[in-house]
Amino acid sequence: MENTIWSNIFSGKSRTQSREALALKHVPVFENLNNYELEQVKRLVHHRSYQPDEYVFRRNAPGEGMYIILKGNIEILDQNENSLAILEEGDFFGDLSLLDKEPRSAHAIARDHSELLGFFRPDLETLIKRKPDLAVKIILNLAGVIGERLRKTNELLAEASS
Amino acid sequence: MEIDHKDTLLKFYHLTLLIVGLFCLYLIWPYISNVLLLLVLAFLFTTVLLPFVDWLEGKIKSRALAVLITVVMLLGGMGLFLGSFGVQLSQEAITSYEQFDKEGLVQAIEDLRSSVVEKLPGFAQNILESSTDVSQSADKIGSFVDTVLSSLGQLTSSLAKLIFFSAMLLIFTIIMLYEYHRFKRTMMTFVPNRYFEMGLRLVRNIEKHVSGYLQGQLLAATSVAILSILGLWLLNTLFNANLSLIIFIGIIAGIANLIPMVGPFAGMVPAILVAVMDNLQNETAISHTLFNFIPIPSPFFILDIILMFIIVQQIDNNLVTPKVVGEKVGMHPMLVIIALLVGANVMGAVGMLVAVPAAGIIRVVFKECVWAINNAHLM
Repeated sequence: MENTIWSNIFSGKSRTQSREALALKHVPVFENLNNYELEQVKRLVHHRSYQPDEYVFRRNAPGEGMYIILKGNIEILDQNENSLAILEEGDFFGDLSLLDKEPRSAHAIARDHSELLGFFRPDLETLIKRKPDLAVKIILNLAGVIGERLRKTNELLAEASS
Repeated sequence: MEIDHKDTLLKFYHLTLLIVGLFCLYLIWPYISNVLLLLVLAFLFTTVLLPFVDWLEGKIKSRALAVLITVVMLLGGMGLFLGSFGVQLSQEAITSYEQFDKEGLVQAIEDLRSSVVEKLPGFAQNILESSTDVSQSADKIGSFVDTVLSSLGQLTSSLAKLIFFSAMLLIFTIIMLYEYHRFKRTMMTFVPNRYFEMGLRLVRNIEKHVSGYLQGQLLAATSVAILSILGLWLLNTLFNANLSLIIFIGIIAGIANLIPMVGPFAGMVPAILVAVMDNLQNETAISHTLFNFIPIPSPFFILDIILMFIIVQQIDNNLVTPKVVGEKVGMHPMLVIIALLVGANVMGAVGMLVAVPAAGIIRVVFKECVWAINNAHLM
């Protein structure tokens, strides 16, 4: 069995670099950033490797930020371990934790060997101090993503009540 | 059953690894202790300066330039302080030298010697004369020169060590300031997935508390320094206290204030010494009463200075520190005394200065680790 600690330390940089930039570019939170700004974000994110059936996080654990799937599948489960969604390469999850300090509302578990990019609140806070213009862009994008989700929820509620 | 056996073996393996590691650390400790001290001090400096460097980087868009400007400002401030102190001290020395009645003193010593010799019995006078024997004088001069040379050698070696240590500290601090975020990110790769987010939280909280604590201490020291300078200036202006080096005394009082309990008293000592030195021949200062109107004798303004420092301490403790620091990062007095004693034992005066912030940092790290252990079941 491969040890995830070693694969986290020795993950091939050059091999993953273009993949990381590409993955970041397709996430709505980073979508309108130019190449230089993407490079800055890439220097902040954490590259993590997970084995099949390894938890990314558990429900009620303190949430620190969002993950972007570079490779593999991540399943989101509720408190009764019922599947809520299976996320694939390019998808992202946990983005609400970038803004609030609430505990995780669901479990996230790797279904096969997965590689994720993590972008966390401490990184965003550092970015606010070091590169305020870039941080503002990311926060506005994040607000857009959450606003979009709220609009869809409202539409669903309206449909359900009518 | 097999799993239990495997677990025990793994625990045994980890324990052996820990013991071997600790033994190796014990063996190499004498060689690495100085480097570790350098790293700890560089880390403390980095923690204090980091928020400013990050903020400046946000403004000027260059990390290297932000670090450079911060370091130049810091070195410039220290240079200005030490330089102005040097200039003031040399001016003081020149003035004292010019005021000094050399011929009168030489005459007085000569008169004293003659009167003593005259009053001595005959055999004692002979001994006194024989003691001026040339060979004995040469021996004395020789041993004196030896002592001076060896002291000079020790002084040069200590000075060289201090310069080397300071240069290394500066280099370590610059590297840490420049590479801090990358270094932190690299360290996080060693944290297992299960504890990764917990680790991030732990590091952020430790950073926040340590930085807040050190900046609070620094602000408190600055406020004491400014208030002391103001107080000494008022003593000079209102009561003609004739105190020199007031900026230097104020800064020393501010730095001494970092040492709880002992510090406020230690800060008064230079002020009292300077007051005595500056007013040795001043009749008004010798017969001075407290604040000129309270009929309590205060020769050389000593009581005025003590009272002024007590007032400064009260203003700082009750008004400035709670407002500036926000919440008190206080420790139990017993812990403070223990930390001070340990610091004094390990590193003397510098140890006393570093002991309480170090104990504060250990306390924060300990609290965060306890939180992490208590919540580890959530991971």
